[in-house]
Amino acid sequence: MNAREEILGALGTAAPPPGAADALLADPVRPSVAEDRVAAFLAALALPASGATHARIGSVADAPAAVARYLAEHGLPPAVFLPDDPRFAADWSGFALSLAITPDEPAVIAWARLGIAESGSLVFETGPHAPMLPNFLGLHHIVLLREAAIVSHLEDAALPGPQPRAHYWVTGVSGTTDIEGQYIRGAHGPRFLHVLLVGED
Amino acid sequence: MSAAFSRRVDAALADPILKLAIDRTAGTAEAKRALAVDGFAHFEQARTRAAAIKDHVVAHLGHYLEHFEASATAAGAQVHYARTADEACAIVIGICKAAGARTVARSKSMLGEEIGLPHALAEAGIGRIETDLAEHIIQLADERPSHIVWPAMHKTREQVSALFKQHHTAPHTEETIPAMAESARRHLRQGMLGADVGISGANFLIADSGAVCTVTNEGNAELSLVPPRVHIVTAGIEKLVPSMGHAAQLLRLLARSATGATLTQYTTFYTGPKRAADPDGPEAMHIVLIDNGRVKMRDEGLAEMLRCIRCGACMNHCVVFRQIGGHAYGGTYPGPMGAVLTPALDGLAASRDLPNACTLNGKCQEVCPVKIPLPTLLRGWREKSWREGLEPATMRQGIGAWAWVAQRPRLYRAAVRAAIFAMRRFGRGWIRALPLARGWTAHRDLPAPDAESFMSRYARGER
Amino acid sequence: MTPAPAPRVALFVTCLVDLIRPRVGFAALRALEAAGCTVVVPAGQTCCGQPALNSGARAEAIAIAKRTIALLEGHDAVVVPSGSCAATIRVHYPELFEHDPAWRGRAEAVATNTYEIMAYLDEVRGWRPDTALDATATYHDSCSGLRELGIKAQPRRLLRGVAGLSLTPLDGAETCCGFGGTFCVKYPAISNAIAGEKAAAIDASGAELLLAGDLGCLMNMAGKLHREGSPVRAYHAIEVIAGMGDGPAIGEDA
Repeated sequence: MNAREEILGALGTAAPPPGAADALLADPVRPSVAEDRVAAFLAALALPASGATHARIGSVADAPAAVARYLAEHGLPPAVFLPDDPRFAADWSGFALSLAITPDEPAVIAWARLGIAESGSLVFETGPHAPMLPNFLGLHHIVLLREAAIVSHLEDAALPGPQPRAHYWVTGVSGTTDIEGQYIRGAHGPRFLHVLLVGED
Repeated sequence: MSAAFSRRVDAALADPILKLAIDRTAGTAEAKRALAVDGFAHFEQARTRAAAIKDHVVAHLGHYLEHFEASATAAGAQVHYARTADEACAIVIGICKAAGARTVARSKSMLGEEIGLPHALAEAGIGRIETDLAEHIIQLADERPSHIVWPAMHKTREQVSALFKQHHTAPHTEETIPAMAESARRHLRQGMLGADVGISGANFLIADSGAVCTVTNEGNAELSLVPPRVHIVTAGIEKLVPSMGHAAQLLRLLARSATGATLTQYTTFYTGPKRAADPDGPEAMHIVLIDNGRVKMRDEGLAEMLRCIRCGACMNHCVVFRQIGGHAYGGTYPGPMGAVLTPALDGLAASRDLPNACTLNGKCQEVCPVKIPLPTLLRGWREKSWREGLEPATMRQGIGAWAWVAQRPRLYRAAVRAAIFAMRRFGRGWIRALPLARGWTAHRDLPAPDAESFMSRYARGER
Repeated sequence: MTPAPAPRVALFVTCLVDLIRPRVGFAALRALEAAGCTVVVPAGQTCCGQPALNSGARAEAIAIAKRTIALLEGHDAVVVPSGSCAATIRVHYPELFEHDPAWRGRAEAVATNTYEIMAYLDEVRGWRPDTALDATATYHDSCSGLRELGIKAQPRRLLRGVAGLSLTPLDGAETCCGFGGTFCVKYPAISNAIAGEKAAAIDASGAELLLAGDLGCLMNMAGKLHREGSPVRAYHAIEVIAGMGDGPAIGEDA
């Protein structure tokens, strides 16, 4: 008998009673989220564990100026990695744009499909226009998120239908407490997370 | 107490630096967990639900394995099954060799430690880059993890500094923890991005989508798993959940119980290899589903242990772990959960000390996010050890004789009188040394008994 | 049937109290009677069997449990001046007979009727002491009582009724003292390390007295404190509650 047959044989493969698994999804016990989801999201984002900053912009067209301001505040030149994604359509002519990600990329721009108010998380998926590696390499992670795309809870983040290679939730920056429990930001990836909240729609 | 366990315990207790290191990390974790639990109304109900989710899966594990296999295969992943640690390692090494891998980037997985994967990779001549900061420290020190969440918990900053200065090409110059972390960031980055294969564990396997969920705070899993050509997952079969909604409920408890955070910084669901048009990601994804004793655990009284989501709260709150640290346990998993798992993995004869070296104070069960009755399971191992004659002869005879006398009240009263007489010869008030109770009087004074027992005085009419 | 004016309570004093510190048994008698109980002390009592249970000696634990159940049946309540011994009867006896239909019901009947003494006085009798002791004390929550029986507020409520007694908080009051029954002699070095931290916390509380509800834990903590030269004196809480807190403390020659 091969390993598969032996393991499944020993376990038995009878299905659970219909509805048993769904019953364990009903009324999940979770922190309540204030009615103003945007405010709740921003509050979670600002908690020390996440330690992110944010700015509000009216539309994607305002993104280049907001990014330039952010970089200038951090003493960085106007150079970013920008994914080849039509959602970023704006005038980026003032920037040196990296087309391929480099290991020491100082600033990376990304588009989050959703924000989760409960935890201050940003939800991403991989796709033809959405590489994954840059979001874990850059020192400054600058994320565009539509205000209308903020949901309440983790359960609301699921992507219906066929799944992409990766669906991921980013809650703050790359951190570690591996040396004496002391919290350090920027262990491997981003040390700074900045959200540009897009108000249009 | 076995000589090996005794030696490890003595070494741990004699090491003042170890105690300091454990308290710094576990103490912080304990305090932060308490705040997180206070901030989550209905935490208790959430634990009950979490336990129910895991119990449901464990009761229908075969069904969910088949479901997961079908979903993951449909998404383009290749699913393998392994009965034992050796079988699992052989599968992983086979995949690495077929891919022509010279180096693998590994994202911390306790299951990988359990099956001896680091050793198997070394034997196969495959270079291994540990990308979790703590695992990196452990790899440099050529040691084993001492904690399931903080594998390098036993190392102080001074010891880490010395290791980095010895091994990093451009080490830190400033003696601060941020500077040390920065040194590791520089050192690990190139290796990580150049690995041929990325190997991870799984925190959850999602049956309805075939997704593998990993959680990290460093983002090292993603850095290890996106650039290489091949992604290999090694996962225990108990990691299944029916859907992402079930995982979400467990994720809330995992982070709060482990670090006190609302959620881990990076929570990623990987479903199959990269799609044709994706700009990055591996070309192949292999998932190795590993039994290594879990079916037996389910069927032989340890089903509740399969609820474990590896948060480490039980050890952070364990008075024994806090004194002796993880290495003294001698297995892959330390602390209360390790004391339950290690006899199942390594055999009870070799590890009977672990379930015994516990005060049964119940704190571990109190903090467990999935309500594992750890003291009950530990007591179960003690019973098995007793039944199988593994307990020392002195203990067996002592308990046996005492139990026989305890069922014969008149004899018992006589024994009490004799004990009072004998003990009072060694002191009135406090006894500083008592030959038959050296384990006690080596460290503590023992109150001498009163001249006459309660039952005797009561029988004489005293009230 | 005429309802009894006073509940008929069986006092199970525990093997440690019988052997080491009879005062705890007499304090329990005194407090129960003050709370309006008719107390009987079943003559055949020895030990609840906890050392066998926790050593894995199930057959021995079952044999002792059967004797003890037979001895304690038929009372309005069974009261025990120890959280861990009370928990053995209340929580673990029914587990021992889970698959024994002949004994299961009897075990459960005794179990539901068995109380740790301070929980009984406070919750069942709603009693408050009328005693006094001028002292500052700190209280350690012994683990079995705390986690298996939920004993936390009851002793504090009773102790608040002792005039002149002030309770001062103990850092880590819910942290195990390292006693653990046979653990403390099977793994003495680990036990000692835990007890050392507990003793330091007790000293740091600044209290004159250490109180707790389990003699085993008290002997461990008091023995460690005395070895380290601490002036803190230790009593079972029921001694203080019953007005016997002016007598010799644990380890003081009577």
